[in-house]
Amino acid sequence: MTNLAMWSRLKSPWVIHFNSGACNGCDIEIVALLTPKYDVERFGIKLEPSPRHADVLLVTGSVTKQCAERLKRIYDQMPQPKFVVAIGACACSGGVFQGSYSVLSGVDKILPVNAYIPGCPPRPEAIIDGVVKLLNALAAPPAPKAAEEPQKEEAASEAAKEETVEAAPKLTTEVKPNAKQ
Amino acid sequence: MDILKILETKLQGKPVEIVPDYLGTAAIKAKEGSYRDVFKALMDADEKTGVTSITGIDLGAALGVFYHVRTSNAFITIQVEVPKENPKLVTVTDITPSAAFHELEVTDLIGVTFEGNPLEGHFVLPDTWPDGVYPLRKDVNPNEVKLNPSPPEEKFEQGKQVKIIIGPQHPALLEPEKFAVFVDGETVKAVQPRIGYVHRGVEKISEFRTYIQDVYLVERICGICNSCHACAFVESVEKILKTEVPPRGKYLRTIILELNRLHSHLLTLGHAGLEIGYETLFHYFWRDREPIMDITEILTGNRVVSSAMTVGGVRRDLKETDVPKIKSTLADLRKRLPFYTKVYREEPSIGLRMKNIGTLKREDALKLGVVGPVARGSGVDIDVRKDAPYEAYGEIPFKLITYKEGDTWARMNVRMDEVEESIKIIEYALDHLPTGPFRVKVPRVVPPGEVVNRVEAPRGELFYYVKSNGTAMPERVKVRTPTFANIPAFLTTAVGEPLADVPPNFVSLDPCFSCTDR
Ligand code: SF4
Repeated sequence: MTNLAMWSRLKSPWVIHFNSGACNGCDIEIVALLTPKYDVERFGIKLEPSPRHADVLLVTGSVTKQCAERLKRIYDQMPQPKFVVAIGACACSGGVFQGSYSVLSGVDKILPVNAYIPGCPPRPEAIIDGVVKLLNALAAPPAPKAAEEPQKEEAASEAAKEETVEAAPKLTTEVKPNAKQ
Repeated sequence: MDILKILETKLQGKPVEIVPDYLGTAAIKAKEGSYRDVFKALMDADEKTGVTSITGIDLGAALGVFYHVRTSNAFITIQVEVPKENPKLVTVTDITPSAAFHELEVTDLIGVTFEGNPLEGHFVLPDTWPDGVYPLRKDVNPNEVKLNPSPPEEKFEQGKQVKIIIGPQHPALLEPEKFAVFVDGETVKAVQPRIGYVHRGVEKISEFRTYIQDVYLVERICGICNSCHACAFVESVEKILKTEVPPRGKYLRTIILELNRLHSHLLTLGHAGLEIGYETLFHYFWRDREPIMDITEILTGNRVVSSAMTVGGVRRDLKETDVPKIKSTLADLRKRLPFYTKVYREEPSIGLRMKNIGTLKREDALKLGVVGPVARGSGVDIDVRKDAPYEAYGEIPFKLITYKEGDTWARMNVRMDEVEESIKIIEYALDHLPTGPFRVKVPRVVPPGEVVNRVEAPRGELFYYVKSNGTAMPERVKVRTPTFANIPAFLTTAVGEPLADVPPNFVSLDPCFSCTDR
């Protein structure tokens, strides 16, 4: 049964997309992935509107203070195991909006992030590459414990401080962000 | 400027000072509460009067409230000053309803309250933002602001009407934004918007970056119309610097702006298909949008955020060898247009889901001050490219598209026809591309001055106000985006229609909230 679940997770990951304060640049590239030129659906990657059915959360944008709580809530609604991919410079670190009064910058302030895909916006090819790397990392046999990176959830914002972030399963292989193209 | 003459006679004896040339527009300094008289006089004189934006600005000793008003052939700024202690003004929403959202925003960001404004509450700031702290005041350090631990509970009244909350995360919206729709049975009774989920405080951060850094910042207000934002900003700075962009730079900018419009319109035309369950159309449009992204990449080096504009011109020249590729791509797209036009005009399912839905009458469009394809779909012939030509638009022939119906169908058809016009503009610009330099060197430090500037983004008039204080960083940058002006149209047209018609109606505004929230 576990094998079957793992097989389906790798062969057909269902993704949900949340814009937590992006400029739309990254979002239109995500939609471009689903449309005829790139068409990731042929690889089984499916965009899923409901968080309760999704395995992978694609987050774009520097997290705004108004969105932080919603982002957390959507993450909480996803079933285990779940993975977070930060797409774009904003989601990775805040991008150009770093230091503004209304953004927290970086998704990792709120959620444990499994893969970072930099770029402003990253090209669709880069996003595909990032997701494939995430899947490869999942498929790899577990490595010794020492290789694990500490989670960054302590840095959670004031808005999300009250509740502790549930730790996501840690990736055993580090997912290297691919270079900006 | 005959409108100023009319105003002068009408406002005789009032404490009003008219400055005809105020860096490209006219300014009216209204003292002792006479701004309402100015508004009344303007409304009487010109039916196309609408509030484009209201800028709240910290002037040190006092707060400035600048009403930027559009009329059919002039652009006027009405300047009012209020003391910092207890800053209060009387609303102008009873004279022109188009001011309602703008006033609320000024209250939120700078703290001037408008008595009699029908709206209330936080509009762009987070719910947890404390009362009485206004981020755009110079003495407020936003990083020291203590947020409230939890937002106030939402009030929910039980009754015959049911409140349906759409958003902030909703599959139909790419962006997080909340709309509370009150329905009685199937019929929509009221819509309450809550924007500000994507508020990144761009206006404040721009004050801490240099002008060149700001170009990249404002470009990232919106990924879809990024070139328009960058262009509007660099044009403003050039106006303050009194720099003239070389002709080749102007033509290249025009091409980039039109590519922006092409991809934005194709995106929306497809998105509207998706909303009414016509997914094939969505995929067709997005397939044909990809070649446009490719030519944007040829021209600027990037698919989406193009970073092509810079103060003094453009950053990259167009290679002669790339021209045939661009032309053949555009020719391919043009070949497919008759099919799309036919679909949008004649396809029965489109007619059923779009005709007579969300109808905005011409009078209402004028009253609410809507812009862009929404206004043009209601028969209001406004387009900044024609009204106040910038870049090379004055030299390039193109048609201004209007439809009379005012419904969702008309708005989408305006966009459909504009795609064709955009292709024509780009082809003309490529054929008549001047030779010579494409940019000029400009000083880093901008002399003191202030300027208002408008460009026609794909969604309508985009407005910038830039004030410089003589340093390398601007004193105030105010951005008013087209969707901000268009939301009131949705709030009125959705009422009285079935809930199922809300999505197509909404998408026909081509809403962009990253722009709106900044
Ligand atoms: S990374 Fe760039 S394109 Fe993506 S949301 Fe941020 S600013 Fe926009």
